[in-house]
Amino acid sequence: MKDYLPHIPGFINDTINSLHYFRPELALTCGFLLVIIADLFFKKIYSLPFYITLLCFFAVGFYTIQQLHTAPANLFSGMIIIDHLGALFKLIFLLAGLLFIFFLKNNRQFIAHNKGTGDIFSILLAVILGMNLMAMTSNLLMLYISIEMVSIGSYLMVGYISKDTRQTEGAMKYIIFGSVCSAIMLYGLSLMYGFTGTLDLNNPQFIQELSRIPSLASGTVIIMVLTGIGFKLSVVPFHFWSPDVYEGAPTPVSAFLSTGPKAAGFAILVKFISAFQLNTDPEIKDMLSILNHVLIIAAIASMIAGNFGAIRQNNAKRMLAYSSIGHTGFLLMAVIAFSETGFKALIFYLFIYVIMNMAAFMLINEAEEITGSESVEDYKGLGKHYPVLMICFVVVLVSLTGLPPTAGFTAKFLVFSSAVEIYQSSGSFWILLLMITGAITTLVSLFYYFKIPLNAFIRSSNKLIQVKKYSQLMPICIVLSVALLLLLLLPQIITSFI
Amino acid sequence: MSLLSILIFMPLIAGLIILILPSSFQQKFKYVTLLITILQLLISGFIYFQFDPSVAGVHLESQFQLVEKLAWIRLDLGSGGKLEIDYFLGIDGLSMPFLFLTSLVMAVAVLASWEIKTNLKAFFALFLLLDAAIMGVFCALDFFLFYIFYELMLLPLYFLIGMWGGVRREYAAIKFFLYTLFGSVFMLLVIIGLYFSVINPATGNHTFNMITMMDPANFVQGSIFSIAANQELFGVPARLLAFIVLFIAFAIKVPIVPLHTWLPDAHVEAPTPVSIILAGILLKIGGYGILRICFSMFPDAASQSSWWLGLIGVISIIYGALNALAQTDLKRLIAYSSVSHMGFVLLGIASGTVEGTSGAMLQMISHGILSAMLFYLVGMLYERVHDRDIYSFRGLATLMPAFTVFIMIAFFASLGLPGFSAFIAEAFTLIGAFSSESVNGWLPRWMAIGGSIGILLSAAYFLWTLQRMFFGQTRLKGGTDWALQLSDVNLREKFALVPLAIMALILGILPSIAFDKMNTSVIEFVRFITLKQ
Repeated sequence: MKDYLPHIPGFINDTINSLHYFRPELALTCGFLLVIIADLFFKKIYSLPFYITLLCFFAVGFYTIQQLHTAPANLFSGMIIIDHLGALFKLIFLLAGLLFIFFLKNNRQFIAHNKGTGDIFSILLAVILGMNLMAMTSNLLMLYISIEMVSIGSYLMVGYISKDTRQTEGAMKYIIFGSVCSAIMLYGLSLMYGFTGTLDLNNPQFIQELSRIPSLASGTVIIMVLTGIGFKLSVVPFHFWSPDVYEGAPTPVSAFLSTGPKAAGFAILVKFISAFQLNTDPEIKDMLSILNHVLIIAAIASMIAGNFGAIRQNNAKRMLAYSSIGHTGFLLMAVIAFSETGFKALIFYLFIYVIMNMAAFMLINEAEEITGSESVEDYKGLGKHYPVLMICFVVVLVSLTGLPPTAGFTAKFLVFSSAVEIYQSSGSFWILLLMITGAITTLVSLFYYFKIPLNAFIRSSNKLIQVKKYSQLMPICIVLSVALLLLLLLPQIITSFI
Repeated sequence: MSLLSILIFMPLIAGLIILILPSSFQQKFKYVTLLITILQLLISGFIYFQFDPSVAGVHLESQFQLVEKLAWIRLDLGSGGKLEIDYFLGIDGLSMPFLFLTSLVMAVAVLASWEIKTNLKAFFALFLLLDAAIMGVFCALDFFLFYIFYELMLLPLYFLIGMWGGVRREYAAIKFFLYTLFGSVFMLLVIIGLYFSVINPATGNHTFNMITMMDPANFVQGSIFSIAANQELFGVPARLLAFIVLFIAFAIKVPIVPLHTWLPDAHVEAPTPVSIILAGILLKIGGYGILRICFSMFPDAASQSSWWLGLIGVISIIYGALNALAQTDLKRLIAYSSVSHMGFVLLGIASGTVEGTSGAMLQMISHGILSAMLFYLVGMLYERVHDRDIYSFRGLATLMPAFTVFIMIAFFASLGLPGFSAFIAEAFTLIGAFSSESVNGWLPRWMAIGGSIGILLSAAYFLWTLQRMFFGQTRLKGGTDWALQLSDVNLREKFALVPLAIMALILGILPSIAFDKMNTSVIEFVRFITLKQ
């Protein structure tokens, strides 16, 4: 014990100095506690947790924006690193969280639920805290803890209502699949520690030691770690859970899971790959090429499985689940490019993706309130009676397909640019294949996305459609759709941050 | 703000206004749209007269007219340089005629929209959006901007066909959308590849400026599409592959055999005004794209593949004509005749001669006018009795004399009767194809002969149709009911048809009004693409 004494003041000093940079996360923690207290003692004031969360988000946003321009810093003795990219990811999570709470507030299932909505706000804040840590981690332990923090929170969210067996089934599947994946990852991490003797991702020793062991062993270990990350990304072959979970979970939760944790998965993937890519040691070239090929194959498989899988779906939420697998595959292209262009494309795409996917789920929710069903077939004739809803839907779907005149096109364009750029310098056949798959699956995606306008506008229904009033979610959907159009003309609104 | 911006944004704003106006005004929407298209016609007429025919444009940025250039997106990509996307408009002799054609056909299409009775608000809003996108395609000189307008056309067309179309409209709409998107997704990859290959000498950044992309000196050494680098993709020279990809994207629009199968379906299912726009303008975007983009950016690949392009042209001419002969649906017949006539455009361009290219340009304008007229006439017939099977009618000439006059003008003009625009256009194309062997050796002589067989066949199917439907004793499938419903051409319809007939006649007698304005550009274009690089 005595040997450690001289170090203690140094540790304490380091921790205290780090706290200064840790403000967004501290704000989230405070918000978390406040929501619990509010829910326990002031249950009568129904929307108090909502406003506390909202307030908390403003504080987090304020502090995170400040971090955009601070120099990179090592905190808590190298457990986490604060940098520009991390701060951008945190803003993406925040946007997803913000849209999620508005979604929650107007969702009938949640309002009618007898447990009340208080708990879900506290879970949300904890999940966002976990995602923030994912975006900043530089240590294998921290990587595991943050992923688990998000996972456990997500399990709770998915099973929050569990009003019928389908929802319970979705939640159970999610938990079982998630636990297995994280167990495999934990095993991989422990092997990594065993091989390298360090937990610090950015320690040069980490890569050097890893490159010294036989490539079969190091390859297996890397793939084991990627399993855990791949689960969060729902990338092929770890995607089986997502259609069932998205369908079973309450719609706002599906919307959140397809945006927030997915973006966090990308953040941690970038962190993990950076350790390999930024190392200039020529010896690791083999390992890097294995890693790249694994990612390329996963990307191609995800694009194909996601987009072709979506064609057969009639349930709108299931369809979006498959499409989000396809989007993951497409986005991996920007990660594989691993260039400044690639990261800018990734961040821009994720911003747009959060907006359009959230909007899509909100619109599905609206349509469900009207037709009482999630089936695309039941959208027949809606275009005539609910023009605003369906026009917004068309804008969002066009954006998801990646066509002008929406920002989804600019995003897709930037990702393709990063791939072409890397192709030009490497000439790799695999990258070319990746781009061609991206182009073909865009075409395929048009086919299923347009089932919705097809039913809404072109087919007519023999059922009588009652004209109801829109919910309060509709103005948000309109704002998001207009934002998608506006961001095509003025991408500077986002790119000036990047 | 130049006149071109007004041409593009006036319909867009009018479309938004229509969306905002309450539905109780819906009977007024067609007048608003008509007013906009007439204003457009006046503006493009003014542009035509103001146009200076002495400067060429094509690959010389300084010689473009009515240029408007604003910085639009400037994103620092770090390693990828600075993203340089401009709002860059301008016209030369290759694009100016299309502005006038678009305005004219659009105005006719609005008059044909009187038959649309349901959901007028959506119809006219989409119509105006389409109008804006088409104008944008012809004016844009920045590839990114061009692509946005190019894709923007798809959405309104999908809904216009899908919502107001015939029985199989679902199938036709999605087929059209998928075909076009198939071409354009790969075009996007080529655009990005070009972007990374080209440097704007003035700023040192990569650029989307189409004119900069035409100058081989601006290509970065060793980049994918640099001529000197000679890179290969899948064992094919990269530049040739890029040319083929771009060509396929535009050829689907033209359309060429065997990528034409969307066209008969789309035409048959589309409502009359949309058929008019499809045949009158959209097909020309394919031809324009081949001139402005495929040939101007990849002249080396164009000269290599001209033989194949010529062959595709001849096949389209003959195959389209033979198909037209076999049709019993009048609208399908005209759709296939479009395939045949657009084959001349490809043949003319592929000849790489001044005559051939002028002929192709004129053929596009002439076909734009004549096909608009033909589809309008078929639409009138269909609107009256909801049938357009050739064998359901006989001896219409006695029942509808004025209608028969118009259809005779359209038929005779289309089959290339001297005195009408199509004659001059097809003659020039064939002269170009014929002389190509001695001028630059791009096309063999037999292709010109193949093309002339197409003219013969077109005479056959048009005259035979005329004989079957209009001559002889009046006998109708619907009996006396039909005879009552088949009223002759009314005033509004005459108002739309007469200008088209006059245009076809004027262009046939005085083709110089078109040739004079585009000649300098065509000569420069041909000199540029046949330059030994």
